[in-house]
Amino acid sequence: MLPLSYYMACSVILFLIGLYCLIFKRNMIRLLMALEIMMNAVNLNFIVLSSYVVEGSVHPLAHVFAILSIGIGGCIIALGLVITLYAYRHYGTLDVRELRRLKH
Amino acid sequence: MFTPLLDTLIFFVLTTPLMGLVGGRIKHEKRIVEVYVISALIFSLVLIPLFYSEVLKEGSTLIVGWGSPQPEGAFLEIDTLSIFMAVIYLTIGLMASIFSTREFEREDTTGYYTILLGMIAAMIGIVFSGDLFTLFIFWEAMCICSYALVAFKRERWESIEASYKYLIMSSAGSITMLFAFSFLYGLTGTLNISYLSVGLARTEGNPIMLVVLIMLLIGFGLQAGMFPFHTWLPDAHMAAPSSVSAVLSGVMVKVGAYGLIKVLLTIFAPMYESWRVTLAVFAVSTMFVGNLSALLQDDVKRLLAFSTIANTGYILLGIATGSQRALTGSLFHVMNHAVVKALLFLCAGAFIHKTGTRSLKELAGIRRSMPITGTLFIIGTLSLASIPALNLFWSEISIITAGLEAGMPIFSLLMVVNLVFSAVYCLRMIQTLAVKKETPTSKKAEEASLPMLIPILALGLLSILIGVYPSPFQTFAEEAAKAALKQ
Repeated sequence: MLPLSYYMACSVILFLIGLYCLIFKRNMIRLLMALEIMMNAVNLNFIVLSSYVVEGSVHPLAHVFAILSIGIGGCIIALGLVITLYAYRHYGTLDVRELRRLKH
Repeated sequence: MFTPLLDTLIFFVLTTPLMGLVGGRIKHEKRIVEVYVISALIFSLVLIPLFYSEVLKEGSTLIVGWGSPQPEGAFLEIDTLSIFMAVIYLTIGLMASIFSTREFEREDTTGYYTILLGMIAAMIGIVFSGDLFTLFIFWEAMCICSYALVAFKRERWESIEASYKYLIMSSAGSITMLFAFSFLYGLTGTLNISYLSVGLARTEGNPIMLVVLIMLLIGFGLQAGMFPFHTWLPDAHMAAPSSVSAVLSGVMVKVGAYGLIKVLLTIFAPMYESWRVTLAVFAVSTMFVGNLSALLQDDVKRLLAFSTIANTGYILLGIATGSQRALTGSLFHVMNHAVVKALLFLCAGAFIHKTGTRSLKELAGIRRSMPITGTLFIIGTLSLASIPALNLFWSEISIITAGLEAGMPIFSLLMVVNLVFSAVYCLRMIQTLAVKKETPTSKKAEEASLPMLIPILALGLLSILIGVYPSPFQTFAEEAAKAALKQ
């Protein structure tokens, strides 16, 4: 069995990849994908920690949490895609830099 | 399954679309859904005193659990703080839904009312939840509802832009928060808020704790509109329909503050020294950013949104001070600011409905053509400028004096400076709307219709009532603060 730190490092790296993507990417759909990556990093962290909190068994609470948070993530992405669709109709582009009219 | 109050609300949320379907058959969909939602909110508001007496009977906290036993299982924990917040949410939600019966021209408002009611139910779920698991589920339900509400006028580009920005920022914030929850779970093996502080006392000095604290500050602070995560707030409040802005600004921003109260004063109470000054610095910079940006605005809703940011700063300063008196001030400010900001946004909504513009220049002199709404807007603005005998004055003064008592005189002084700034833009707003000569746009406007005036008048009277006779409300806030500090 691999030690805990490997898994946690993996989830932190996933989270940072998502954050990088969120900050530097310009495509609106990619930003939603970045959110999804971050969400998965968190779920992975939960599952990994659940098997170490109680010695020798996996705690079910974290699994319930992970399943619900996958569902919630799906909702957020669905709503995000709807809004992206409308934004595409209004702006004619998926470039997030174009969404700056409110500042003026 | 949950508590009676939450059950009722969830039942109404689920049945509202059905009522829309039934109403659609007899060609009165809009009216039927409106009446249904408003009566649902009134019914829930009536239920609260009964429910509160039940809570008091149980000692001070009522615990409703299901699934696996404590401390692991998910459960609800209702105390005076929860009831205090729930009353505010329901009142403002009721006012906003009465107002929105006249706000929209279009017919398909069933979805709007369902989502609005769902958002209020989710917010009440947040304040009722006793563990971070339940809190997160309701939190995301609230966030998803609010993204949809901001984008409700989907035919306009600004709503879509604001909603997209808000969705990305707020989801990133809540995911960061969730990441912190996973670490808390890993460190202690539980997500129960009361057990977490005990569990964390054992892990003191662990460097991960500091990271977790920062992540939680980002997650909750983003929702509360804390600097430097406030940039979504003015856009979202400006682009949303006015009744939604009233709910967002009056209530939803406070859910972030509630989360900070729970997390910092309950879970991280043993680490008080390490977050106190940081939070106070954030609070003061939030005030400055809010007030100084508000000075430059011409758009009335954007100005009010920046003032919301500033007021979040006052609330956060009260939390950072951390004494019972300061927390009383903070919670009292939550209530007062909810009333006043909802009043102002609804008045602004009435102006916008009648004139079609948000620009203060165009709205100049509107008090002459819309006397009642204009006068109440001025009352709200005076309260925002912290004039004594109106409600915001009392809570601000108690935050300031508590800060002085707790040995944070510099922060209290900076808050007083900020109150002066806020008085400046408030007086400018009054001068523009009441004293200046009318423009052609504002001359054409006529007084708002009765369903718009009812919530405005009610909130205006409430604001004066709390200002003149603050003691019962302050006592309620004090009870809530005691419950939050577990004294």
